[in-house]
Amino acid sequence: MSTSQSTLVAAPAAAPATAPPSPRRRRVRPTRWVGVLFVLPATVYVLVYQLVPVVYGFVLSLTEYSPLSRSGPEWVGAANYTALLHDPDFGQALLVTGRYVLMVLPPTVAIALGLALLAARPFRGVGVFRSALYVPHIVSLTTVAVVWLWIYSPNGLVNEVLTTVGLAPQSWLLEQESALPAVAAMRVWKALGSNMVLLLAGLQSIPGELYEAASTDGAGALQRFRHITLPGLRPILTYVVAMDIIFLAQGFAELFILTGGGPLASTTTVNYLIYTEAFQYNGFGSASAMAFVLFAFIAAFSFLSIRGVAGRRS
Amino acid sequence: MQIPHPPTRRSVLALTAAGAVLSLTACGLGGPAAPQADQSGSGELTVWFPGTNTTEIELVTETIVPQFEQETGAQVEVTFLDWPDMSTKLNAAFAGGTAPDVFGHGPAAVADFVANERVVDLGPFLDQLDAADREDMAAALPGGQVDGTQYLMPLSLQANLLVYDADAFTEAGLDPDEPPATWVEAAEMGAELTERSGDRITRSGLLLPTHPIGLQQSFATLLYADGGRQLSEDGTTATFATPEGEEVLDYITSLFSGEDAVATGLGRDYSTLPPSQQPLVTGDAAMMIATAPQVQQMMAADPDLDLRVAPPMSFDGSTDPAAFGGAGPGLMINADSPDQELGWRFIEYMASPEVAVAYTEGIGAIPMRASAADSGYVQESETLQAFLAAAPAMVPNPNVPGWVQVRDTMAQHLERATNGAVPAAEALRQAATEVDDVLAKAR
Repeated sequence: MSTSQSTLVAAPAAAPATAPPSPRRRRVRPTRWVGVLFVLPATVYVLVYQLVPVVYGFVLSLTEYSPLSRSGPEWVGAANYTALLHDPDFGQALLVTGRYVLMVLPPTVAIALGLALLAARPFRGVGVFRSALYVPHIVSLTTVAVVWLWIYSPNGLVNEVLTTVGLAPQSWLLEQESALPAVAAMRVWKALGSNMVLLLAGLQSIPGELYEAASTDGAGALQRFRHITLPGLRPILTYVVAMDIIFLAQGFAELFILTGGGPLASTTTVNYLIYTEAFQYNGFGSASAMAFVLFAFIAAFSFLSIRGVAGRRS
Repeated sequence: MQIPHPPTRRSVLALTAAGAVLSLTACGLGGPAAPQADQSGSGELTVWFPGTNTTEIELVTETIVPQFEQETGAQVEVTFLDWPDMSTKLNAAFAGGTAPDVFGHGPAAVADFVANERVVDLGPFLDQLDAADREDMAAALPGGQVDGTQYLMPLSLQANLLVYDADAFTEAGLDPDEPPATWVEAAEMGAELTERSGDRITRSGLLLPTHPIGLQQSFATLLYADGGRQLSEDGTTATFATPEGEEVLDYITSLFSGEDAVATGLGRDYSTLPPSQQPLVTGDAAMMIATAPQVQQMMAADPDLDLRVAPPMSFDGSTDPAAFGGAGPGLMINADSPDQELGWRFIEYMASPEVAVAYTEGIGAIPMRASAADSGYVQESETLQAFLAAAPAMVPNPNVPGWVQVRDTMAQHLERATNGAVPAAEALRQAATEVDDVLAKAR
């Protein structure tokens, strides 16, 4: 409200051309500058720590650059990008990244939604239930990965359970078929808490009168979920799906700790490849090019998912 | 209360853009090159050591460095970095102009620093030492050289030798005083020592490291023992795609696969496990390749364990015995250090006979000086004596620019072969092609 009022007050069109500046107009200018001052810190932060590195990263992607080199970046144009087209490792990493997102995203959202529906009900101990589910989100991903490294180890929890029920222990993180799903299972567990809380907030914003009216009209539980809950959750679902895609497509820490990108590169995501190229092989130019291609993919899939979940209606 | 509205087109675009920026900034791009930091050169020295061994940290920071400071009047600021972070932080420091005066690293990294003129030629400093002193370090010094020039002063020797559980030998009817003389014989003994429960191996008879770096080292160990070498003499081409290379790669694969397998856990990294969880301690293996510190730590974890070290072996008896090893991690001087003389004095102090023995004793490593064989530290340890005796047969990885990428490329293709994805010959051929490319680009 205050913004629109200021705009209306500041509009000079209604004032006569010869009239002296009104006292009300003179009061507006300092207000405007105060607003600028308020956004200045955030603007400087975004410029210095986000936009400038992004632009510099793009410039680096057009160069060949080793941090050890004394000559600095050498311009190579689009060579780093064209090289990626023929790089089987990069193609494989893109596929692994896509598989990883697909393995984690649907179960995470579906289970988190189920848990949010459960946590939205008033029952004894609901606070403890919600807190317990949120705890994994608070713990750092690195710490969680180290714990799960033990869980998946030859004498770890999972194999102990298998042995107890008479099944053979498995090398979860050492087999091509099981390594990525094993990491994905950990990531689902880690992401549940935050998604559940967001969806719970979404659920609590849906007016209860709608459910009462629907019940009065004879709508069953499934119909209420389909016609009231899901549409009501659409904005927050859109946010959850988009942010999950953005973060999952950059999967690194958990893979670094649990599998080291192996076996046979079956868990080498694009971000892992970027790390290797930049910090193991000192290829900052090609690593930057990979980062921008990953960026393009993430942006495209985020946009598509947002359109898909939110619909075209504005 | 109102039902939240679906996002508008503008909010969709804004969210996408925000996410995209977030994704890019999180990708961690490097910073620009900057001039070196202005350092005074007034008797102050910054030193980065690799490793997080608490014994080593205490020894260096509480004993060695204070003594050096007392003797020289210098001020030394020591930082220990986790091994996996070492290259990353060094590279960032060089790019940002904040690299330390003296830093430690493994021999594998030296050539890249040399190629970028980041480290000082230690030759003139070494020439100031007595000939007898240089001779005392003769086994270690070549591992710190690139094209015959000394850039790294090794602080220890390192080697991978076959270590076995003498009690397991006795239980299997083998003589623990007669370890295998060749790798072929080791596999045969491994078959005797392997224990199974149904189809599952419960104790590996012969366990070789097969995590990516370990697999490359296992391959190198056997290749050297079979008379082969990884790169040409001038370090420009791969020379492992040979019948010998194929033979030893098939050998490694056969240890882990098929009905006659003698080991389990292909790809598992045992090097990061604590001593009490090492396969020889838990009884999950009867023979395995290990380093001197690992053996000593395992024996400390289980004093009842009778671990013994086999001498370097030939692959099948047709060539001289060889072992993978040589110079261990050492120290280099930053070419931009304003006080290189003080840097050398610190290195010289670390490499002096008494300090060198105390340092290697503190970390359980093999001393790099031949004279250390007479020290109480070595005399009291049969393990160290065995490793020191193997020094003449040690062959290191080549010191060439791009070696880390060469090593990883080799490991990638070796892993494909050991997992049965491609035949050994094909894996080696592809690896050699890619390694040649890496070497050509790095020159």
